[in-house]
Amino acid sequence: MTSSDMDYLTIALPKGKLFGLSADLLAKVGYTAENLSEKSRKLIISNEKEKIRFIITKTADLPTYVEYGAADIGVIGKDVLLEEGKDVYELLDLKFGYCRMMVAVPKALKREKLSDYAHLRVATKFPHIAERFFRSQGIQVEFIKLNGSIELAPMVGLAELIVDIVETGRTLKENNLEEIAQIVPATARLIANRVSFKMKFDRINKLVEDLKSVMAEEAAQ
Amino acid sequence: MKKNQFVPQLPYGTRDFLPKEAKHKRMVEESLAKLFSSWGYDEIVTPTFEYLETLSVSGGAELAETMFKFFDKKNSILALRADMTTPIARVAATRLRDNGPLQRLFYLTNVFRHEEAQAGRQCEFYQAGVELLGEADAAADAEVVALAVQAMLDAGLTNFQIGLGQVEFINGLMQESGLSKEECQQIKHCMVTRDLVGLETILAVSGVAEKTQQVIKSIPLLHGKEELLEKAYGMINNEVSRAALDNLAHIYQLLKYYGVEQYVNFDLGIIRDFDYYTGMVFEGYTPGLGFPICGGGRYDNMLSSFGAACPATGFALGIERILLALLRQEIDPDCNEREVYVGWNNGSLHKAIQEAVKLRQLGKTVELALTAQNREQAVESQKGRGFAEIIYFGD
Repeated sequence: MTSSDMDYLTIALPKGKLFGLSADLLAKVGYTAENLSEKSRKLIISNEKEKIRFIITKTADLPTYVEYGAADIGVIGKDVLLEEGKDVYELLDLKFGYCRMMVAVPKALKREKLSDYAHLRVATKFPHIAERFFRSQGIQVEFIKLNGSIELAPMVGLAELIVDIVETGRTLKENNLEEIAQIVPATARLIANRVSFKMKFDRINKLVEDLKSVMAEEAAQ
Repeated sequence: MKKNQFVPQLPYGTRDFLPKEAKHKRMVEESLAKLFSSWGYDEIVTPTFEYLETLSVSGGAELAETMFKFFDKKNSILALRADMTTPIARVAATRLRDNGPLQRLFYLTNVFRHEEAQAGRQCEFYQAGVELLGEADAAADAEVVALAVQAMLDAGLTNFQIGLGQVEFINGLMQESGLSKEECQQIKHCMVTRDLVGLETILAVSGVAEKTQQVIKSIPLLHGKEELLEKAYGMINNEVSRAALDNLAHIYQLLKYYGVEQYVNFDLGIIRDFDYYTGMVFEGYTPGLGFPICGGGRYDNMLSSFGAACPATGFALGIERILLALLRQEIDPDCNEREVYVGWNNGSLHKAIQEAVKLRQLGKTVELALTAQNREQAVESQKGRGFAEIIYFGD
C-alpha cells in the first residue's frame, strides 16, 4: 500500500485553497486522475494507467503523511511546514498560494515598539512559529493556541495580539486590526518523503524538472 | 471498562514487545550477532548510563539535547546513552588502548533519545551496529558497507538500497566557492534540513558565480551509479572534492569484489551530520518505511576527543525498523514451530516428565501439561495452543 509500492507515486494534496491550484499545475505535467476533486468521497483516487495515487488530507496533517512515507510527495504551504517542523525534502517553491505570517494588534491597543508588548497574550493557530519569532526578538509573551477565527480573540479579550497568516489584509481591516510585524512570507511548496526521494528518485526528479519548465513558461507569458 | 479501574500507563516513547514480537526481535538479533562474529567483530557491552560530560563529548554534543538526564547521589549529572558510538569510542580510547591499533567491535542494545516518536522508533529503541577502529583506508569503509548490506539480507530483507556519499565532496566545494563562513553554515543547514528552496534562496543572494550556484544547488540531486562519479568530477575544480570522489570510486570497486554493488547507489546529497562525519557516509532505505533503516560513515575525529586520535568507521541498524519493514513487506520470519504437547492423566506424570526431558534433549519444542487431563481435554489443549503433535500418557 502507498509508498511501499514501488510502481506507484502517491501524491498528497491539501484540502482548501491550495487544492485546485495544485491539481491544475500537476495536471499540466501529466499528473492527474479521473474524478480528482476536493469533494470526492473516495479517500484515495488512482490513475492506474499512469501509476499515480492521490490522497486528499487536512492541511495541517499533510506533512505527517509525507514524513511517514504514507505519501511520497505532497503540496503544502510553507507556513504549515514551518509550524509542523517535519523532516521532509522541500523540493520546489510553486510560487502560488502567497500569504504572509504576521503579528497584528487591535488599533486601540497599539504601542510604540514591539518590545512594549512583552508579557501580553498572543492568540494563534501557529504556536511554534509565533514562539520562535518572539524568542528571536527576545520578547516574552504568553501563547494561546486556537484553531480558527483568530481575529475574534482580541475582540473579546482572550488575547491582546494575534499571529496569523494574511493574504490581502482585508480581514484585518474589517476587524480593526493593524499589522505591527511581519514574520515570514509563505508560498506553496512541493515536498517529498526522504526515503521516497531516494528510492523513486528518477520519477520525482523528472516531475520537479517538468514543473520547473511549466512554471518558467507561464512566467514568460 | 469499570469506572475507577486502575489502568497502568507506559511513559511516552516506551513500548512492550509481546511474545511474538519479542521472538521476531530475538531472531533478527541472533542472526545479526552471528553475522558480525563471522566477520571477526567482537561484542561489547557498556553501561546504560554514564556521565553526561562523557556522553556529550565531540559529536555527542547535539545528541546531548535529546538525552534523558538525572542525578546521582553526589549530584553529578548522568545520562542514558543516546547511541553506542560515543561509549565505544570512550572504551577504545581508554581501556582497549593497549589491545593494538585495530579493533572490530559490534553491539546489540537499547539506546534512549527524548524526541518525538517516529515510525519504528520510540524514545527507547534497539540498535545493532559495528565500529571498525584504527584504519583510515577505503578497505575499512568498504568492509563496513558490505557488512551493512549483508546484515539487511540476513535479517530477511531483499528489497533495499544503500546510498553512499562523502561529506568531503561538499566541504571541498564550499572552500572552492568563495562563500563566506556564515553562508557556508547556512547552506549546510539547508542541506541537513533538506530545504532545497532555502538553498536556492541563499545562493541567489550570495553573489557567487552562476556556475558555482548551479553546482551547489545540484548536490542533493547527485544520485546514480558509476556514471554519476564521472559527472561529479566534471563539476568540481578542487583537490578535496576530487579526493572524496576518488575515495568513493575506490570503495565502490571493493564493493564489487564483495558482490554487493547492485544494492549501492552514489548519492552525494547524503550528509547526515557535518560535525560528526569526516568521510564516507551512507544510509539504507527499504520500501514501506519512510525513514532510513540504517546509517553510518567515517568519523575520524571522535576518538581524539577522548585523547587517542584514531580513524574510525561504522554503522547502526534500527532493529524495530527492520521488524516493521519485514511486517510491511509481508515477510514472515519463520519462527520455530510449537512441536509437541505432552499430556497425562492421574498416575502418569512421571512418564510424561521423562518423555518431555528426552524430547527436549533431542531439540524439540515441548510443552508439558501441568494438570491431569483425559485424552479429549489433552487434544483440545494441543490444538488450542498450536502444537503440531501430541503424546499422551494415561488411559
